Amino acid sequence: MLSIRDKKGNILTENIIFIVLNLVFITILILFLFTKVGSAAVLEEKYAKEIAMLINAAEPVMTIDLKMDKAIEKAKGEKFPIGEIVKINGNIVTVRLKEESQGYSYSFFNDVNAIANLETQNKTSYYFVITEKQ
Amino acid sequence: MKTKGAEKIISVYWFAILFIVAAAVVYMVFSFYGEPYDVRGIETGLLVDRIADCLNSGGYINEDWQNLDESNILDECRLNFNVEDTSGWNDDQYYIEIEISEFNSGKILEEVFAGNRNLNNNCGIESRNFPVCLERSMYSVDEENNQYKIRILSVIRKTEKNVQ
Repeated sequence: MLSIRDKKGNILTENIIFIVLNLVFITILILFLFTKVGSAAVLEEKYAKEIAMLINAAEPVMTIDLKMDKAIEKAKGEKFPIGEIVKINGNIVTVRLKEESQGYSYSFFNDVNAIANLETQNKTSYYFVITEKQ
Repeated sequence: MKTKGAEKIISVYWFAILFIVAAAVVYMVFSFYGEPYDVRGIETGLLVDRIADCLNSGGYINEDWQNLDESNILDECRLNFNVEDTSGWNDDQYYIEIEISEFNSGKILEEVFAGNRNLNNNCGIESRNFPVCLERSMYSVDEENNQYKIRILSVIRKTEKNVQ
């Protein structure tokens, strides 16, 4: 015959297993969410469009500083040179965070010269120098 | 008091619920992050602003507005309608239309177009798969105090990069 203490022990074990399984489930879901939110493809698109819109709104002889710590972290994790994340060719911005990725390109309509440079001091942002086209 | 069998059934239901919740979260994440950011609304607004700044300065209309035409509007307003080579785009993703009229009579004095005119036909269609259009009007005067109404329409397609 089971004593009261044994019965309590059984209930506790079942509950602990149940709670642990639930926690494992929630952790997997959260990990999945974070992987998707911080994926290189999503960040490439986000930053390429953001930079294109900033340049569209800019006037010559402006310098725009853009914090890109998430993209830089991602590129470091992928062992991609952080100085080559943003490329501007004519009026097309390309952001690339992985060696095997083609990057994401988006055009801007503002007919200016835009040059992208990595902020060399803290290395968490890029600055864009906007000048008049010659 | 619950029997062992009843508890097993409850846990099966519980895991079924967990599975449904997981499936819903995965579906929502894929449908949200799988779709591109649509920035065309912002882009059309910026394009209208740029044209407005080009035609009007400090409340006065640009002195050379009568010389504006299809051949020089892009240079005058510092615009570049080249786009990336993707999805068969052929530098045909933008369209702008400028109409300058007398403020009181409404008589049209100048009309300037640039870009892909076909995009204009899709304005007014309420669908994400069509180009985004934005029309704005403003009031301006010249040195002799003549009053003008300037209507600017900007249209941007770029559907493949902004809508799945």
